Amino acid sequence: MKNILLACSSGMSTSLLVKKMQDIAKERGIEAEIWAVSQDKAEIYMEKADVLLLGPQMRFMKRKFSKKADELGVPIDSIDPVAYGRVDGAAVLDKALDLIGKKPL
Amino acid sequence: MENNKFMQVLENILLPIADKLNNNRYLTALRDGFMIALPLIIFGSMFVVLANFPFLDELLSKEAYAAYQSALNPASNATLSIMGAFVIIGIGYKLTEQYKLESPIYGGVVALAAFLILTPQVLEDVTGVIPTSILGAEGLFLGLFTAFFAAELYRFFVQKNWTIKMPAGVPDAVSKSFSSLIPIALTLTVFLLTRIGFSFTPFETVQNFIYTIIQQPLTALGSGLPATIVAVVLIQVFWFFGLHGQIIVNSVFDPIWYALNDQNLQAFQAGTELPNVITKQFIDTFLVGMGGTGMTLAVILLIYLIGRSRQLKQIGKLGTPPGIFNVNEPIIFGLPIVMNPLVLVPWILAPVVVTVITYFSMSTGLVPKPAGIIVPWTTPPILSGYLATGNAWQGAVLQAFNLIVVMLIWWPFLKILDKNYYENEKNTSKDKIIFEEITGIKGFRDFLN
Repeated sequence: MKNILLACSSGMSTSLLVKKMQDIAKERGIEAEIWAVSQDKAEIYMEKADVLLLGPQMRFMKRKFSKKADELGVPIDSIDPVAYGRVDGAAVLDKALDLIGKKPL
Repeated sequence: MENNKFMQVLENILLPIADKLNNNRYLTALRDGFMIALPLIIFGSMFVVLANFPFLDELLSKEAYAAYQSALNPASNATLSIMGAFVIIGIGYKLTEQYKLESPIYGGVVALAAFLILTPQVLEDVTGVIPTSILGAEGLFLGLFTAFFAAELYRFFVQKNWTIKMPAGVPDAVSKSFSSLIPIALTLTVFLLTRIGFSFTPFETVQNFIYTIIQQPLTALGSGLPATIVAVVLIQVFWFFGLHGQIIVNSVFDPIWYALNDQNLQAFQAGTELPNVITKQFIDTFLVGMGGTGMTLAVILLIYLIGRSRQLKQIGKLGTPPGIFNVNEPIIFGLPIVMNPLVLVPWILAPVVVTVITYFSMSTGLVPKPAGIIVPWTTPPILSGYLATGNAWQGAVLQAFNLIVVMLIWWPFLKILDKNYYENEKNTSKDKIIFEEITGIKGFRDFLN
């Protein structure tokens, strides 16, 4: 089970992406919990996540979240703006899985 | 290439600013504190709308209408009108939480208590009351400062770890129950002394002091057109670089906009003339609430009207459903608007023009001013304009008019963009058109990472 957390200012635009990612994950038979939250809740939900992806417009928050993410060993990155604009679920899912794969155990 | 370097330089300046503002402890607490109050504010707003529903005053008898209103009013009086109380608790809580103390809720309640200590507990010679007006607009700024100071003091005293020593044999849980007592007592004593101290000054109360020295000048500045245009342009510039403009700019402007909003609400409910044009709703409903930042619903409509390229049509289709509810990241990153010099002019110009049009149509009385009702920012345009102006059709018409203005401003620029995409699609057999190939801006992807 992969837990993929997305965050943006209020969890609105990332939730567009979540729907697409869930569809793709289902298609590929990947068991994944994918959900979006607003930035102020990201730190709390990070504990349940295997990876945290930020909307590109929130990329300046990466530094702030990195501290807790490092403690928990949760990889964190901002979403590619082109993929974000296209609401490209497949590309973002690939990135999330890639980041989880690279995670130091 | 030249262009790209210039943008890189600008980005290098903006990113640290965004980072600094956003990671500032107090601004973060302020923003998240308002978020805590928001559901209550929206609940209260709904009931202001219902209590002032159109035509009811004509359908019902005068007595019945008054009874109807007084039955609904407690809903907004207990939430929207005293939003300051919830914001103070929210800020106190969120600030204490950042220090990872055990029970941050104490930070919230100590902030509220400190604020009430500083509040004059008398109204027109009636003692033993807390005027609700100070929990609305009037006390908002004092509330913010009090919440900051109270939470910081509480945190300070907790970290000092002065506790009451219980005799051996007293259960641990019992002595722990006192652990918040000393920090709270010390914090509130400081505020009581502050209150007493101020009673010897010409201001008499801290309320009065903050209101006169800080709140009045700041809201006067913030209610003007120039400051608003500065805020609007800043938001657009941040977004142009793909940074969330509101989350950065609003944390500074929100206290002012909410205070102005609340002044209008009080006037609206009292049936007197509304004092302010610039309010929270001016920004949220008439600028952001038009398909998202930069009023991109107009851009989508324009794509349907003149778009020939597959790329634009696709973006338009993708952006429509969220765009109706003012979520426009697909347009901002997909068109793209971010880092796209072709659309920089309409991107900055359109919101400024709309700000000016909206400001003057309201200040001249052509369109009613925002009634202080907080309409959720995801409310679709036309409806939101109607609700925000206190059920006035002119508000809806103004939004429709502004959409057309934005479309006209964008027209020539979108036409060029569309033509570029179209030519490129004709000349290439590839299915995927990459923005970089068309505009020649290299490294668009790496840029933002």
